[in-house]
Amino acid sequence: MRQLPVGLYQPADSVIHRLSGSAKLLCMLLLLIGVVNTTTLPGYGIWVLLTALLIRLARISPGTALGSAVRLKWFFGVILFMNLCFYQPEDPWVRWWIFSPSYAGLIQGIQVVARVFLLLAMSNVLMVSTAPLVMTDAMERLLSPLRLIGVPAGLIAMILSVAIQFIPTLFEETDNIRKAQTARGARFDSPRLWDKAKAVLPLLVPVFLAAFKRADELSMAMEARGYRGDTQSRKKKYPPFQTADWLALLLCAAVAAAFVMIR
Amino acid sequence: MKEITVVKKAIITAICIALCVVLPQAFHAIPNAGTVYLPMHIPVLLCGLICGWPYGLLCGAAGPLLSSLFTGMPPAAYLPPMVIECAVYGCASGFLSQVVHTKNTYADLYISLVGAMLTGRIVAGLARALIFAGGSYSMAAWAGGYFVTALPGIVIQLVLLPSIVFALMKAGLIPARYPGR
Repeated sequence: MRQLPVGLYQPADSVIHRLSGSAKLLCMLLLLIGVVNTTTLPGYGIWVLLTALLIRLARISPGTALGSAVRLKWFFGVILFMNLCFYQPEDPWVRWWIFSPSYAGLIQGIQVVARVFLLLAMSNVLMVSTAPLVMTDAMERLLSPLRLIGVPAGLIAMILSVAIQFIPTLFEETDNIRKAQTARGARFDSPRLWDKAKAVLPLLVPVFLAAFKRADELSMAMEARGYRGDTQSRKKKYPPFQTADWLALLLCAAVAAAFVMIR
Repeated sequence: MKEITVVKKAIITAICIALCVVLPQAFHAIPNAGTVYLPMHIPVLLCGLICGWPYGLLCGAAGPLLSSLFTGMPPAAYLPPMVIECAVYGCASGFLSQVVHTKNTYADLYISLVGAMLTGRIVAGLARALIFAGGSYSMAAWAGGYFVTALPGIVIQLVLLPSIVFALMKAGLIPARYPGR
């Protein structure tokens, strides 16, 4: 809570930063398909190398790219332990009480952890290398076919963009309210669960009031400037994909197809 | 006060989606808080109650997705059932708050809230039983996970959400449901 979330945009001049937002989103989807269809340890090894290459190409620090994954180290540890000890009790190395660690369990645990870790790292590269406005346009472009069935793609993209931009503000707001409540005697650091829960509850109403006050101010400002929400279908021209975008898409499609075929 | 405009509904939805990322982090200090206190459900239900079902649906679908992207929670493996569950909460609370009109704000809120909480849990249980954990998901696991473990979260939602709605009405940030009553 005391630190801002990882995955916020960091401007830089890199190959990944220069790609169009829509191409990056599509590439991300293709890579996700590839990761989900990987079933062997060498396959995950290749994905780790590819992810490292992506981080290098995006010129972001490994700490930024892997921050959210590293924060989940205890979760990963538990998943690995559970799979190791309970996945295949028929053929264990040793048997002790309820635990039956096995080779199959170890492999399964490594695969699950690797999959989640890779997905987190790739989504971080996408978020860190794409400006919120570019992301909004990309989402609007990819959602635009939904206009045919009356879904307001522009409004949805605007909502998602505003949400992304509000995350750091609300983090700060919540932290300030938390500090104020601590000064009034709330026990956020108490070792007792009940004290912690009781301390969090008075935090919620002020957080919601502050957040809705911001929503009120922003919506009034937008309406005063003539924005009425994109509820009507309207055609918007998007810039065509550049050679680099097509190349990235082709590469990602080839990698994903290879993993789907050797599955 | 006039009806909430489309722009304001959109911004409230955006704020609620952002709160879906922020609130679980506020509960982070409490072990297992996600499954016990259900912090992500609060903004989703609130968005549905205030803005209606399409906005609640969007908030419920996008909240867990963005939270997973920014903070890694919920992890990718738990994301699809959670997206379905939250989307149903938002959609059902919005739909019920549009349909239920008892001329008593508290009654409207509680009927919408309890109806949405039940619908969301039933649909999430069905989704797990039929799609995500086909064949290995039992009635006992459903009741244990969604009602027993989550009991503190359910109580928090039932106590807190109407209070938040009334506080927002009192602050003039959303219109009163029955003006003059």
